[in-house]
Amino acid sequence: MLGTVNKMKHQMMLFFFQRGNLPSLLLASRKKMSLKSERRGIHVDQSELLCKKGCGYYGNPAWQGFCSKCWREEYHKARQKQIQEDWELAERLQREEEEAFASSQSSQGAQSLTFSKFEEKKTNEKTRKVTTVKKFFTASSRVGSKKAEIQEAKAPSPSINRQTSIETDRVSKEFIEFLKTFHKTGQEIYKQTKLFLEAMHYKRDLSIEEQSECTQDFYQNVAEKMQTRGKVPPERVEKIMDQIEKYIMTRLYKYVFCPETTDDEKKDLAIQKRIRALHWVTPQMLCVPVNEEIPEVSDMVVKAITDIIEMDSKRVPRDKLACITKCSKHIFNAIKITKNEPASADDFLPTLIYIVLKGNPPRLQSNIQYITRFCNPSRLMTGEDGYYFTNLCCAVAFIEKLDAQSLNLSQEDFDRYMSGQTSPRKQESENWSPDACLGVKQMYKNLDLLSQLNERQERIMNEAKKLEKDLIDWTDGIAKEVQDIVEKYPLEIKPPNQSLAAIDSENVENDKLPPPLQPQVYAG
Amino acid sequence: MAAGGGAAAGRAYSFKVVLLGEGCVGKTSLVLRYCENKFNDKHITTLQASFLTKKLNIGGKRVNLAIWDTAGQERFHALGPIYYRDSNGAILVYDITDEDSFQKVKNWVKELRKMLGNEICLCIVGNKIDLEKERHVSIQEAESYADSVGAKHYHTSAKQNKGIEELFLDLCKRMIETAQVDERAKGNGSSQPGAARRGVQIIDDEPPAQSGGGGCCSSG
Repeated sequence: MLGTVNKMKHQMMLFFFQRGNLPSLLLASRKKMSLKSERRGIHVDQSELLCKKGCGYYGNPAWQGFCSKCWREEYHKARQKQIQEDWELAERLQREEEEAFASSQSSQGAQSLTFSKFEEKKTNEKTRKVTTVKKFFTASSRVGSKKAEIQEAKAPSPSINRQTSIETDRVSKEFIEFLKTFHKTGQEIYKQTKLFLEAMHYKRDLSIEEQSECTQDFYQNVAEKMQTRGKVPPERVEKIMDQIEKYIMTRLYKYVFCPETTDDEKKDLAIQKRIRALHWVTPQMLCVPVNEEIPEVSDMVVKAITDIIEMDSKRVPRDKLACITKCSKHIFNAIKITKNEPASADDFLPTLIYIVLKGNPPRLQSNIQYITRFCNPSRLMTGEDGYYFTNLCCAVAFIEKLDAQSLNLSQEDFDRYMSGQTSPRKQESENWSPDACLGVKQMYKNLDLLSQLNERQERIMNEAKKLEKDLIDWTDGIAKEVQDIVEKYPLEIKPPNQSLAAIDSENVENDKLPPPLQPQVYAG
Repeated sequence: MAAGGGAAAGRAYSFKVVLLGEGCVGKTSLVLRYCENKFNDKHITTLQASFLTKKLNIGGKRVNLAIWDTAGQERFHALGPIYYRDSNGAILVYDITDEDSFQKVKNWVKELRKMLGNEICLCIVGNKIDLEKERHVSIQEAESYADSVGAKHYHTSAKQNKGIEELFLDLCKRMIETAQVDERAKGNGSSQPGAARRGVQIIDDEPPAQSGGGGCCSSG
């Protein structure tokens, strides 16, 4: 896999070489070109202009006297050979590393099982680093004298160009484009930056503090020169400084972020573990003035967490700072919505602590150290970014030292929570909600509802059964009662009553009725 | 190591000022009144009152003031040094109706003097003078204490907008003085703005000897 990565890198490099627009070339070559054309004006030798391979086309001194086609072929061949060599070297190194890793692993024993993956990654990274450095040596020795002058013309240091990735290249281009607008000053700045990068290359073995020192000195010197010599107004100096920082730190990042010579990594793991152990801390304990029941607020909280986690993915200290600032703005929004007044530090710091606890941002200590060491100091000391960064440092310091008192808990409670025996959320089941994500929240709610329904159903079933029983009992009771009554008052059949017979007879008081009308005949 | 304080002619000074004091003494109201001229107002436009800036022009000298609010809760007390590192001035606020808050100020003063020496300009501020009737900290006591530690004492009311302008103006003047003394000490010209770098403590401590006596802070 490593081989493929290297190969890709080479191909990419090749691409830039072929196009001949290696960014470093632009400014440096301009002067040379004009010199050469002058000389050419004095004596023109036809053979000197033709391709050295004799293909009939014109050659170009920039391509060692080859024409573009022949040069490409030549170059490609050399490249292929080198790729092959590098590949072999990388493979050998990886084998060695793996052996070393295996032995170190066995000596470490089983207890570091959880770290093994991490170690592995680190070892891989180390291998890669070693390869690049070695590659640089093989390259320069192989390049030979013919190419050497070209290399010189093209780039001050082969090592710098050799490690270009898409991003570094893009940044370089932007940097050059940016500097072009400053003409002479820009050129001067570019030269200084290049010199600095070269110097830094040879300082890689120094301690990180010394490297940081050099970088800070560089920032200071460049800024000063711009002001005194270049007479650049302060606002522009700031802008240029930002660009310089972006340019050099994109290149240096790989070597100075979480370097192996420091215990940054150990600290990263320590704080990560610590935050994990503190998973039970609730907003109430920290007195966080944010009400996550409000959807807008919980939105802001999520955004803030995303921002703080994103910090790790940035390379330039200023971009990392920007992430912290963005996170802080979201926190302020959340507080503003909840409390409806501007957030003071009394509100902000606890909320930031809470966000850090919830987010557990990766490589927190490394990032903080990196920013402290390599950020342009003027930004870090007085600006708004600096303020939020300071607050983040405070939050981390607080988390590291946090104890029962700082959460207003009794020592026993704190110890129990820390040991994981109990969780404050179990006791007050209402409070878990802000912590869970929406889906989980919904699930818990549904489960709750289901159990409630279950209970109700059982109750209804019980009641129904009771009702059934009652009904049966009731009919039984009624039947019994009827029986009783029937027994008590047995049905006797008596002879028909006299009066009853009279009613039924046909001529009831028949004689009392007036006589029926008789037809009468009137005289007519 | 006055952070970014120094400024050659024609350039702006930039000062960092920390606000210290217990919660509820009115730190936030104080800065909001100063920067927005508003008190407990529903129309306050800023999202936050923890980091505010103000541009001033004092006698032709441009000053960029960055005001850093700090969390006042007791549990965050230990974080103080991270906040006030590299600051040029500190405003220590107490509530005149609350004896305890004055004690806190005393603690802060001790700590600041210990950590930053005389480089930092201290202001002790008795806030809420609109509640004079409920005063629990005597004026004499507070003022004589301020004198004894080389700080200046101010009476303010954020509610009635009293004494706040004066407080900040005075503080700025004192910080400029300190910065100038500093510049001269460094040997004119060699001093660069932003020269002091955080993390790089130049602890040769010659400035306290240079400023002499109670430093700038008692000069007022």
